[in-house]
Amino acid sequence: MEAKKTSANRIGITVLILLVMLTIGEFLIGAFTEGLWTALLIIALIKAFFVVRDYMHISRLFISEQEVEE
Amino acid sequence: MTSESKSLSEYKYKAGTNRLGLWLFLLSDLFIFAGLFVARFYLLGVEFRPEVNQVLGLVITSVLLLSSYFMYSAETAMRLGEERKFFLNILITIGLGILFLVGVVGVEWQIAPGSPSDGVEWSIFYIMTGFHAFHVFTGVLFLIIVYRNARKGLYSSERHFPVEAAAVYWHFVDVVWIFFYPALYLIGSSVG
Repeated sequence: MEAKKTSANRIGITVLILLVMLTIGEFLIGAFTEGLWTALLIIALIKAFFVVRDYMHISRLFISEQEVEE
Repeated sequence: MTSESKSLSEYKYKAGTNRLGLWLFLLSDLFIFAGLFVARFYLLGVEFRPEVNQVLGLVITSVLLLSSYFMYSAETAMRLGEERKFFLNILITIGLGILFLVGVVGVEWQIAPGSPSDGVEWSIFYIMTGFHAFHVFTGVLFLIIVYRNARKGLYSSERHFPVEAAAVYWHFVDVVWIFFYPALYLIGSSVG
């Protein structure tokens, strides 16, 4: 149980740090450059990927209920 | 198989079906947001955006991202049977959700130099932020209901699909904002 808690906390914090760093990065790109809209959309895609995979647990859709609990 | 384990097995089967239904609902909702996202680029291109406060945009975006982390922690706490941590984290999520709404509707809309009738850039700005804010509002209501039911002891570490549904909905609203934020605040030069 302790291992599960530690693992879950580590995932939560890691994703949060990634989101914060990417958001600061896109703010700097948006505020100080022009025309880099593709970079901003790619950063948004990366952020969405981590939220959907780690926070929304999309993988639960493709596994059995027993595995969800594990 | 005992009646308790049979009941749990049935619950898990139903939760799996409900999960699929929830994601299908979110997918259908996503089409509306995607339509607004595309409309923004159709109307303004990548050269222009509304004249909005970029620092305020960064602050409200940070608030929503942070709320997603606390919602994740709340759901994880419920799954691992940490009741106190669940209540604390869901309350923080509700507070951050309300703060986001205040930031968008109470501050951004008030200081914005344009109204919805002042041109396409403002029309699309208000419909995108307004439609999203309404989802945040319903998300906050959803979280309050889940909090109240949890206080009544209706959920356990094994039976808590409503908590998962509220969390997934909340993160979905966050994902939408991840795309709306650069579209409204960062891409293009501001037009008054």
